[in-house]
Amino acid sequence: MQPEKFYYDNKIVRNFGIATIVWGIIGMTVGLLVAIQLFSPAANLGNQYTTFGRIRPLHTNAVIFAFVGNAIFMGVYYSLQRLLKARMFSDVLSKIHFWGWQLIILSAVLTLPLGFTTSHEYAELEWPIDIAITLIWVVFGVNMFGTIFKRRERHLYVAIWFYIATFVTIAVLHIVNSFELPISGLKSYYLFAGVQDALVQWWYGHNAVAFFLTTPYLGMMYYFLPKMANRPVYSYKLSILHFWALIFIYIWAGPHHLLYTTLPGWAQSLGVAFSIMLIAPSWGGMINGLLTLRGAWDKVRDDVVLKFMVVGLTAYGMATFEGPLLSLKQVNAVGHFTDWIVAHVHVGALGWNGFLTFAILYWLIPRIYKTNLFSKKMAAFHFWIGTLGILFYAIPMYGAGFTQGLMLKEFTPEGMLKYPNFLETTMRIIPMHVMRSIGGSFYLLGVIVMAYNLARTMLQGSLVSNEAAEAMPLEPVYVKQNGDIWHKVIERKPIRLMVLSLIVILIGTFIELMPTMTISSNIPTIASVKPYTPLELQGRDLYIREGCSNCHSQTVRPFRSETERYGDYSKAGEFVYDHPFLWGSKRTGPDLHREGGKYGNAWHYNHMMDPRLMSPGSIMPNYDWLLNQDLDTTTTAAKITAMRRLGVPYAPGYALKANQDLNKQAQEIADNLAKDHIKVKPNKEIVAIIAYLQRLGTDIKVNKTANNQ
Amino acid sequence: MKLLKYIIICLLVTGAQTVNAADDSLITPAVRDYLGYGAIILIMVTIIVAMLMINRAFKLVAKVFLPAEYAAMEVARKKAKIKKPKAQVIQKLLSLKPLSEEKSILIEHDFDGIHELDNPTPAWFMGLFYASIIFGIVYLLSYHVFGFGQLQDEEYKTEMLVAAKEKEAYLAKAANRVDETTVKLSTEPAALAEGKNVFKQSCAPCHGDKAQGMVGPNLTDDYWLHGGKISDVFKTIKYGVTAKGMPTWEKQLSPKQIADVANYIKSIRGTNPSGAKEAQGTKEDDEPAVAANTAMVVQN
Repeated sequence: MQPEKFYYDNKIVRNFGIATIVWGIIGMTVGLLVAIQLFSPAANLGNQYTTFGRIRPLHTNAVIFAFVGNAIFMGVYYSLQRLLKARMFSDVLSKIHFWGWQLIILSAVLTLPLGFTTSHEYAELEWPIDIAITLIWVVFGVNMFGTIFKRRERHLYVAIWFYIATFVTIAVLHIVNSFELPISGLKSYYLFAGVQDALVQWWYGHNAVAFFLTTPYLGMMYYFLPKMANRPVYSYKLSILHFWALIFIYIWAGPHHLLYTTLPGWAQSLGVAFSIMLIAPSWGGMINGLLTLRGAWDKVRDDVVLKFMVVGLTAYGMATFEGPLLSLKQVNAVGHFTDWIVAHVHVGALGWNGFLTFAILYWLIPRIYKTNLFSKKMAAFHFWIGTLGILFYAIPMYGAGFTQGLMLKEFTPEGMLKYPNFLETTMRIIPMHVMRSIGGSFYLLGVIVMAYNLARTMLQGSLVSNEAAEAMPLEPVYVKQNGDIWHKVIERKPIRLMVLSLIVILIGTFIELMPTMTISSNIPTIASVKPYTPLELQGRDLYIREGCSNCHSQTVRPFRSETERYGDYSKAGEFVYDHPFLWGSKRTGPDLHREGGKYGNAWHYNHMMDPRLMSPGSIMPNYDWLLNQDLDTTTTAAKITAMRRLGVPYAPGYALKANQDLNKQAQEIADNLAKDHIKVKPNKEIVAIIAYLQRLGTDIKVNKTANNQ
Repeated sequence: MKLLKYIIICLLVTGAQTVNAADDSLITPAVRDYLGYGAIILIMVTIIVAMLMINRAFKLVAKVFLPAEYAAMEVARKKAKIKKPKAQVIQKLLSLKPLSEEKSILIEHDFDGIHELDNPTPAWFMGLFYASIIFGIVYLLSYHVFGFGQLQDEEYKTEMLVAAKEKEAYLAKAANRVDETTVKLSTEPAALAEGKNVFKQSCAPCHGDKAQGMVGPNLTDDYWLHGGKISDVFKTIKYGVTAKGMPTWEKQLSPKQIADVANYIKSIRGTNPSGAKEAQGTKEDDEPAVAANTAMVVQN
């Protein structure tokens, strides 16, 4: 048999590489902007399109799906071809994949600041974009499996197992968390409500971290690290064990994002137990990476690429130890909703994803351009300023998290909250937020230096678009080799590998999701809880549009420190009409679930106009545009109809009468405001949002009995 | 051994005696527990020491009566010691093979030049993995099968109960127990100063920095919406009038603080600040200042 000649497609790798750098800089710049807004609200540039609630999702989407996403595709397209000894299946599909993905990102950049959001974290994009993501993901899958089928390498290397698991799991997660009922071109309601919606969202949210930020990067680590260090991978057996253990256990851990909420206790405990079991499988990847460097540590001293890899792997090890720690209820009680979580995710994002991406870029760009890196000194500078940036970011945020978490729980001997005013705790941590933004700008500076360095590298070399390679074609029949262990069978059957990974991730999914969706005793209903009035529903959608849930939670946990501060703790039955749930994941401001009736309408009006009038020192931005913008009531009928289809018990035909009720309630609020000399037309957005805020958490003050037990 | 027997018997007897002695309440139950633990530990230590001594004695006996066998045994023991130096124990725990032996575990096939080693999974790693699985199982069992751990609703009840007890114990001692029925009008400067502080922090955003009224009503005039007597003002602050936008302060201010701020409000009556809001509510005559120089704000 003759060896076959073929060409690797380097151009697509280069394109994804450039996209990684460009979106990385954009995403991190937006991150810096939102960080500054947390101590200087005026940094919202005075308009709604660049205000925290709207561009914080832009930051997370840009760094996760644009920066990390493009980096994944760059790494996969480079390593997949070489590990399979084959060119990508179809150049056309590669191009569709590349441009499709960039268009999706562009649509996010346009829609999120305009306020089109589903409110599900890391899944904020509205339904047409969700469909586009699904299609492009399928294109990626077809291209990957097409390449696998025409491979010249019998067995799939461990990196490809991770790529396959990434592909199937992200597909499942994305589809289930996008069950939405469209009500207009860019607005939809989630199928699930309240507790169920929360569980689906955090099953998704947690596993987006697992299968978008972790597994593809582990795959890339398994290809690039041995290449960079020129060392064999430490243990094949460890690869097998930690791969299967990781994907099986990870999927169960989602409920640890919902500890002490109204999620059923058994689901919370499963989340805790599986999070602890996740330590070893996560560390398996770090150990296999660091021990691969055995005998090459002298190289680490000189080679900046390996330095990035070592810090990246260490950050991964720290973050995956801290995660399970934070899942323990006692730790979670203090850490959740605080900056501790922000520090935790940034150790992972900046250290693991960021540094691995930089290492791969520094290694790969000179190779596909047949040249040397333009400046090693600049790369070394990037490494040090980046590491410093991570430290300056993480340490103050840990400090802020502990400080605020503990202050909020402190009582005086009289049995009063020591800091009854939430704002007091916010003001205490402002210096730490300033330091965090300094750390962030260090990190961003490093990336800009890298962009310059790599641009110069590209200019001094020339791209080898089609890199020649040779390999023997596969024998038609495989003859079993001596010493083949059982796992080898799976390694040469890609479809079987995919189906097996799918089964493995579906086990935890079904056990946690199905009972919560189908068994009614998991969500006891409350008779006094009624659907929102049309005006409140419109107000709720404004709350979603402005991204209020980025800073305010809507779930009071059963702690003395929270019931004293906010009121009675939340019950599952209170959220049954919440499509979507709005529990939030961070308390930059106080919880709002019992906000209804706490202050007068005039207080809310003034507070929205300028929060500092009512709460001196507040870091909440002004929402003065709500005072001037007219509420769009043309959507009311469609919204009520959609809610009815989702099972919310509005009377039949109510959709057509809804606007009458809406106007009546709006007039009442406007009249009430007029008593306090606030002149406002009832058709302004502020009236709707006041109506919603005044409704929050008031249903069970009327009647506390639960039925359906 | 006889000695040991005596010691054990003595300890048991003294243990039993302390149990009996509890009735005299000379020894508290806690102390009795410590004595019990001490006795148990002492017995354990004695037994271990005895075992070691017996082992030593056997060796000596062997050395004297079976010199040949003893010598052979010693040689074997030393050999085993040489075979397993300490470094190797660590290596084994980490499951690391020396780099020089790496060739023997290299898997022949490579992927794009990447080789893999056939190293076992490290022992400590497996230990960690199994331990975490056991933790997970024990965790689930203890919360959901055996009921050792409290789930969140019970945990909350316990927390509130403990807090209520602590609060009661504290308030029983402290002179802080003022409420709307016992609050008295006062002009004591310290109380008014404290009241002013609270006002600046909590009330000024709605009532204005000089109480001239903004969102909330003017507090310096003679007109009152919910009563202008000290007890009424106290009540309004404590429970709020949430329908009209006055928040409940019961959870945020201590009773003493509410009394102080109510007195402060009473003290600024008629100050006529600039920009005063128009009168709301009904006119009330001023309350006669009872015992203006009484320092007692708080009466039990």
